Amino acid sequence: MNSGLSPDDPVLVAAFRSALLHQAVLAACLLVLLWIAWAAARTWITPAAPRPGPEPEPEPTGRSVLRVGFGLLWVLDGILQAQPKMAGGLPSQVIEPAAQSSPAWVQHLVNWGGTIWSYHPVQAASASVWIQVGIGMWLLAAPRGWWSRSAGLASVAWGLIVWVWGESFGGILAPGLSWLTGAPGAVLLYCVAGALIALPASIWHTARTGRLLLAGIGAFWIGMAVLQAWPGRGYWQGTNGTLAGMVSSMAQTSQPRPLAVLVSAFGSFDTAHGFAVNLFTVMALAVLGALIASGRPALVRAGVLAGTVFCLAVWVLVQDLGFLGGLGTDPNSMIPMLLLVWAGYRALTPVPGAGAAADVPAGEAPRPGWRESLRPGPLRDRAGTAGIRTVAALSAAVVVVIGVAPMAAASSDPNADPIIAQAIAGGISPIDQPAPGFRLVNQDGTTVTLASLRGKVVLMTFLDPVCTTDCPLIAQEFKDTWRLLGAASRQVELVAVVANPTYRATEFTRAFDQQEGLATVPDWLYLTGTLPQLEKVWDDYGVTVEDLPAGAMSAHDDIAVVIDRTGQINYELSADPGPGTTSSQSSFGVLLAGYARQELASS
Amino acid sequence: MSISPTARPRAALACALLFTAGVAGCGSATTPPAVTSSPATAAAAPLATTMTTASGVWAVVVMGGSAAQENNFWQLFTVPAGGSQWSLVTPPAVADNGGLVTTADSGGTSQLQVAFRPSQSLTFSPLASTADGGHAWATGLLDAPIAADPDALAARGPSMLALLTDGTVERSASSGASWSTLARPGAITASAAGSRCRVTALTAVSLTSSGTPLTGAACSAPGSAGIFAYAQGTWRATGPALTGSLASQPVRVLRLAGTAAGNTALLLAGSGGQARLYAAWTSDGAHWTVSPPFPTDGAQVRSSGTGPGSLAWVMLANGRAVTVTGRSTSWRSLPDPPAGAAVLGVLPAGTVDALAVAGGNLTLFQLTGTPGTWSETQEIKVPIQYGSSS
Repeated sequence: MNSGLSPDDPVLVAAFRSALLHQAVLAACLLVLLWIAWAAARTWITPAAPRPGPEPEPEPTGRSVLRVGFGLLWVLDGILQAQPKMAGGLPSQVIEPAAQSSPAWVQHLVNWGGTIWSYHPVQAASASVWIQVGIGMWLLAAPRGWWSRSAGLASVAWGLIVWVWGESFGGILAPGLSWLTGAPGAVLLYCVAGALIALPASIWHTARTGRLLLAGIGAFWIGMAVLQAWPGRGYWQGTNGTLAGMVSSMAQTSQPRPLAVLVSAFGSFDTAHGFAVNLFTVMALAVLGALIASGRPALVRAGVLAGTVFCLAVWVLVQDLGFLGGLGTDPNSMIPMLLLVWAGYRALTPVPGAGAAADVPAGEAPRPGWRESLRPGPLRDRAGTAGIRTVAALSAAVVVVIGVAPMAAASSDPNADPIIAQAIAGGISPIDQPAPGFRLVNQDGTTVTLASLRGKVVLMTFLDPVCTTDCPLIAQEFKDTWRLLGAASRQVELVAVVANPTYRATEFTRAFDQQEGLATVPDWLYLTGTLPQLEKVWDDYGVTVEDLPAGAMSAHDDIAVVIDRTGQINYELSADPGPGTTSSQSSFGVLLAGYARQELASS
Repeated sequence: MSISPTARPRAALACALLFTAGVAGCGSATTPPAVTSSPATAAAAPLATTMTTASGVWAVVVMGGSAAQENNFWQLFTVPAGGSQWSLVTPPAVADNGGLVTTADSGGTSQLQVAFRPSQSLTFSPLASTADGGHAWATGLLDAPIAADPDALAARGPSMLALLTDGTVERSASSGASWSTLARPGAITASAAGSRCRVTALTAVSLTSSGTPLTGAACSAPGSAGIFAYAQGTWRATGPALTGSLASQPVRVLRLAGTAAGNTALLLAGSGGQARLYAAWTSDGAHWTVSPPFPTDGAQVRSSGTGPGSLAWVMLANGRAVTVTGRSTSWRSLPDPPAGAAVLGVLPAGTVDALAVAGGNLTLFQLTGTPGTWSETQEIKVPIQYGSSS
């Protein structure tokens, strides 16, 4: 599923940074326009007399904990998504490893999503930034009413997407599942919080919501204690144990030294006392779960306080804060878990005198039905009376759309972004020099000269017909180019020159064409000649070709040149297929087809 | 803070416990299926081999590193007739990670034919041939992948046969310049002779001294040595008649090599600890002489080859090496070859060399004295191009 590029690839990192910058400018412009429109509406629109309605109530504390807490978490996650390695590294370093131990159908599903990311790494990475920052801002900006509940729904929707494709269902279908390592997936907790925020605010006006939430968390903790105690999963042993191994690998993550020392020390402690550590974990989870699920005030309070300490300890010592190392996407599960616990705890105290109008935004009368709301009159009135929080929430939603729109457009494109090929080629500079002429024979034995191709754009490369690695990939990239050009391909000639001093007869070029499905491509020429003829072409185009000893294939440079209709070379780029992934192949085809179209348009 | 009356969510607890038990079950590693050793009759002969032409003795071995990382490179060595120093003569310009299939012209010339087994993205088999001891190579093409058997290629004069991975037998009358299909996949299996033998796989091709095409096979019918000759448009059984304990065992034709005197076959009868090796010789493709059996003690064949005259040799995975010179003489056990020995090279003078491989180093040992000890005689450092195929 991954593009095969290094997460640090400078071309990819620069493109990601540039995309973020452009989208930030776009977001700023849209937000300025929105705020100007709001100010204008307040100035010029005289709203109808407000209908009398109940006074707005303060937001229930439990809901407030969730909304603000998860709002801040989403913003933090969005900022983490902006780390330079994300565009190239997320599929290979985060998504793929997470899916590796899951069942085949999960891997298949995750692979589908990972492929979209690897085909459009810049769009996907920047979309994740804006969507998450936008949802976070949305939650923070809208404390009550329709906007607030919509923010909760957005949180659930995006959270589920991340849970399935980013976390492979939080690993719940893979062996080794543990509460310590983040089960059932941090972002599933975001979904739970989002769902609670999306429910009518009136649910927070009795203690029942808090009781149910704490009971659910308590039951979950007890269940996780049983799982933690389950034999044969490696948690009872220290040396070579599951937890010790995980903590040791976490300690290797790039992070502040004091934290690394602390995590490493805990890893050593667990190696030496694995049984005791697991026993403590099992007992702590079971006891704390029972306490917070008990419903008895004193016990719940003790459970919440002790649970907070325990979760924070696990967050630091086992989860290593979760977001370090350059590819951390969130602070893992302990902070969201604590937010849920505290929301439940605060919700045990209902708002005094809560009424049925709790979902009505501040300063607004009870809202008419949605059909009525969309009529020009009410719409105009609402624009004129919209509060600053409503406009802030709308602004946040605009930020989400800035992320979603380009990603949706990119994922509907089956071809990969050319940035991958540009990253592999390592920068392409335009040149302008006459293409050296040649006289060779094609796969049918017919003589072909460069002059005979005048009037067409020529995309030319050098291929070894008995090559086992790069050349078949390059041939497929050229075939992709032909497919992408469609009708325009009639004005383009795809040309390969043999790059093997020994296996250069037309029988080999024909066999290669057959192998690669190029025999039926009408604009494909695979040229060869005598050794002196070929050596001259190699020399003229600066391609080194040599036989290597001891069973190795011939070595040659992988280049592609773009020759315009007048016989001028306008671009020379590396045709090295790099990792040879489906995304890198598709990307090269898109890049080359783009150059061909550019040449056709300019002549 | 006041807290509302207690709730006791027993149902939630029970559900959580059930869920946990389910998850633990899902996550537990499943017991791997029991692994059984594959029967000896199912194992194909490895490509490592030696053979003799008028110009000298040739050896094919695999060197380098991991095959999984495409760092295994097959090498061709030769020692000229009358000489004693081996040299590297691997044909150039094709990555040979897939293996080399070689055949000497059994017509007695200096010609050696080599087919590259395709690897990675290559789907056909380039050919190379030399008539001057590996100094110069001519190219050829087999437009399909050659089978992974040491006798998947055969030559006698300009006539050639090739066995492809899908079971097709191709024939050339022009030293490989052009090929035509002699037997389509399944044709031999479906023939009357093939049905009687219950052919499970084709394993070799060869040409008799009169140029008649032969194919070797693995058969599941007991006592049937699957060697078939092509004449007048049909395939007929022409293998040796098997008697005694051999008659009750399934037989695999491991090797079917052409020699100046006719053909030499190596047969593996039975499986596991009961497996026996037999050598068989024919001068006309119809009448066979069969050697006494040699028990393999359950060991797989590591390499095998032919030498001057009717000599055949076998190295087993248990470290044993044996030769047999035909005409019903018994097998001769050699002193255990040195560590890393990949193949044996039997020179025309009768001296036996062992070619031992360690990464990119080839060390030559010669068997001297009676009963014999292995003495190091030469070392060749092969410039393996690690990473060139990955």
